[in-house]
Amino acid sequence: MVFCGMDVGSLSCDAVLIGDDEQVLAWSVVPTGARNVVAIGRARDEVLRKAGLADDAVRATVATGYGRARVEGRLAAVTEITCHARGIRAHVPDAQLVVDIGGQDSKAVLLGEGGRVLRFVMNDKCAAGTGRFLEAMARALEVDIDELSRLHGGATGDLKLSSMCTVFAESEVVSLIGEGAEVPEIVRGLNRSIASRTCSLVKRVARDTRGMVVAMSGGVARNAGVVEALEEALGARVAVPPEPDTIGAYGAALIARERWRAGQS
Amino acid sequence: MMKPYFDGLVASIQERIDAEPDGPIARKRLTLETARIGSRLFAGDGTVAWCGVLAPFDLLHAMGVDSCFVEFVGAVLASTGGVEPFLEEAEAAGYATDSCSYHRAVTGAALQGLMPVPDFLIATSSPCSGGLAVLENLAALFERDLFVIQVPPFASEASVAWLADQLRDMARFVADHTGRELDEERLSAAIDATNRARALMVELYEIARAVPSPARPRDLVNLGIVFALLMGTEHGVEVARIYRDELKARADAGVAGTPGEAVRLLWMQNRIQFKHPLERLLSDELGAAVVVDELNDVLWDPIDPDRPFEGMARRILSIPLVASARERIDNMKRLAREYRVDGVLNPCQWGCRQGAGIRGLVESGMGDVGVPVLNLEVDCVDPRSFAEGQLRTRLEAFVEMLRDSPRPDWR
Repeated sequence: MVFCGMDVGSLSCDAVLIGDDEQVLAWSVVPTGARNVVAIGRARDEVLRKAGLADDAVRATVATGYGRARVEGRLAAVTEITCHARGIRAHVPDAQLVVDIGGQDSKAVLLGEGGRVLRFVMNDKCAAGTGRFLEAMARALEVDIDELSRLHGGATGDLKLSSMCTVFAESEVVSLIGEGAEVPEIVRGLNRSIASRTCSLVKRVARDTRGMVVAMSGGVARNAGVVEALEEALGARVAVPPEPDTIGAYGAALIARERWRAGQS
Repeated sequence: MMKPYFDGLVASIQERIDAEPDGPIARKRLTLETARIGSRLFAGDGTVAWCGVLAPFDLLHAMGVDSCFVEFVGAVLASTGGVEPFLEEAEAAGYATDSCSYHRAVTGAALQGLMPVPDFLIATSSPCSGGLAVLENLAALFERDLFVIQVPPFASEASVAWLADQLRDMARFVADHTGRELDEERLSAAIDATNRARALMVELYEIARAVPSPARPRDLVNLGIVFALLMGTEHGVEVARIYRDELKARADAGVAGTPGEAVRLLWMQNRIQFKHPLERLLSDELGAAVVVDELNDVLWDPIDPDRPFEGMARRILSIPLVASARERIDNMKRLAREYRVDGVLNPCQWGCRQGAGIRGLVESGMGDVGVPVLNLEVDCVDPRSFAEGQLRTRLEAFVEMLRDSPRPDWR
C-alpha cells in the first residue's frame, strides 16, 4: 500500500510517497511557478516515476501548503502546521519545537505529548527572513542561492543589517558591497538577522528555548549558516532532518496513511 | 450617497421581512432599525449628534436627538464594500495607515463632505483615546461644540457619582444646544424601555449558551455594540423580544445554528466588518461555531428609574473595555465557562492599541483555564491588506489543534 503527501507551497511543490511501514519510497520537489495546478501534476508524475509506480497504486493522498485545495482526488486537506509537526516527529521523536521556514512563510510550532500541537505562530504581514528574502539577497550578492549557504564559513565579524524589509535589505546589501564589506561577512550578517527575526517568532510560543529539542524544516533549513545562527540565537541545538523541504509533504503522507486506515476499520 | 443608501436598505429589508413573515427575522429587524437610524441621521431635518461609543443613547433619544457613535459609520462604509476612497482621503490628509481604520474611514468621509454637519458632538474618553481624538477633529472640522465625558477606569461609588454628574452636565449641554429641556417623563419612558430591552437581552444571551448553540453564524454578530443605539426605544425592545423568541424556539427544538457544531469559539472585541469568507469557512467547512462575542453581554443592573443618571453611569463603567486588562480577561474567562468555549479568536485590529496591548496577557490568562487563543493579524475595516490565504491557514490550523486537544473541563 502506498500513500502520498503533497505540499503545494509558494516556491516549490513537493510530493512524498510512503509505504505502509511509513518509510519514504520517493520524493520530488518542483518549482511551483505561476500555475500551481501544473506543478501539482508534475510533482506527482515525478514522484511516481521515481518510485516506479502507476497512479492507481496510491491509496490516499493528503494535501497541504497554501495550494492544498487545488489538489484533486485528495482524501483531505490539512494545514502545514499539523503536517510539519507530524513529519518532524517521525524524524526527531523527542522534538519539542518545530521551526519551519519556507518560501514565504515561517512558523514556530510548540509540541506536546505525542507530538500534539500545543501552540503555533506564523509570520504575518511580511515575508522577511523566508526563502523569498534569501533569494533576493542572493541576487543582490550575485551568488547562487545554494552557494549562499556555504559563504558564511570563516566570517567572524558582527556586521548587522539594520533593515529586514526585503527591498530595503537588498539596498543595504548593495551599499555594503559598495563600501567594500566582504561577502562572507555580509552573509553572516544576513543569517544572524534571519535568526534574530525567527527567534522573536519562536519566543511567542516558547519563552525560554535553552536546552529544548528543536527541529527545523523547510527549504531554508538547507542553509547551514542560518541553522548555525539560529542555534546561537535560541541557545539550543537545531536538528535538521534529511530533505527538510519535504517534511510537510512527508507529514501529509503519514496523515493520509493514518486516515485511510481509520476509514478501513 | 449615505441617505439613499440607508433608505434603500430600509426598503429592501422591509421587503424581505414582508416576503417571509414566518422566517427568522431577528437579524433583519436589527439591521432595519439601525438602517432607520442611519436614514434619520443623514436626512438633514433633525437634531444630530456624532458621539463616542459609550455615549448614553437612551438619554439622547429622550431628548429628541438622532445620534450614533462614529465607528458605526466606519463599519457601514466597510460593509458596503466602498470604504477605500475614504481611507485614502484620510491618509492623504496625513492620518497614518497604521492608525485605527474605523476612525480613518469616518474622518475620510467627513473630509469628503459625506457626513452631515451635526448640531453638536459628544465624545467619551474611553474605550480609546483615538475615538476621542477623532471627535475633537470632527468638532474642529464642523465648527461645532464638543462635550467630553471623562470615563474613569474603575467602578467605585465615587466614580459612579462623578460620571453621573457629567451625564447631568451633558443633558444641560444638549438642552442648551437644542433649546429643549430634558423632559422627566420622556426620560422615564426611555429608561423603562432600556430596562425591558435589558431583561430580554439577558434572557437571549442565556438561551444562546446552549450546546449546540441555537444562534446561526451571523445572528449575533455586532449585536451588543449596535444594540446600544436602540436603547431607550420601543423598537429596541421589539428587536430584543424577537431575538429572544427566535433563539428560544430554536433551542427548544434542539436546532443547531451551526449544523455539526464540533468546536465552540469566543470572538474578542470587534468582528471584521467588510465581506469576507472566514465566517463561512468556520461554520460550513470546519464545524466551528462562534458562540459568543466578548461584547455580547449584559454586565449592568437594571437602571433605577429614580436615579437614572447613576444607573447610566454604572452601565458605562460595566463595559469590559473600560476596565483593566485583568478584569477584562476575568470576564472572558467567565464567558468561556458559561458558553463552554474551546478557543478564542482575537482579531487584533491594526491600530487598536487597546486590543494589541494585552495580547500576551489574554493568551496567558485564557491559557490558565485551558482555552487557547488565536491572534489574527487583520484589519476589521480596511480590506486592502486582507490576506485570505494566510488567515484561512491559521484558522484551519487552530481548529485542527483544538479538535486534537483535550477540551477544557466544562466541555
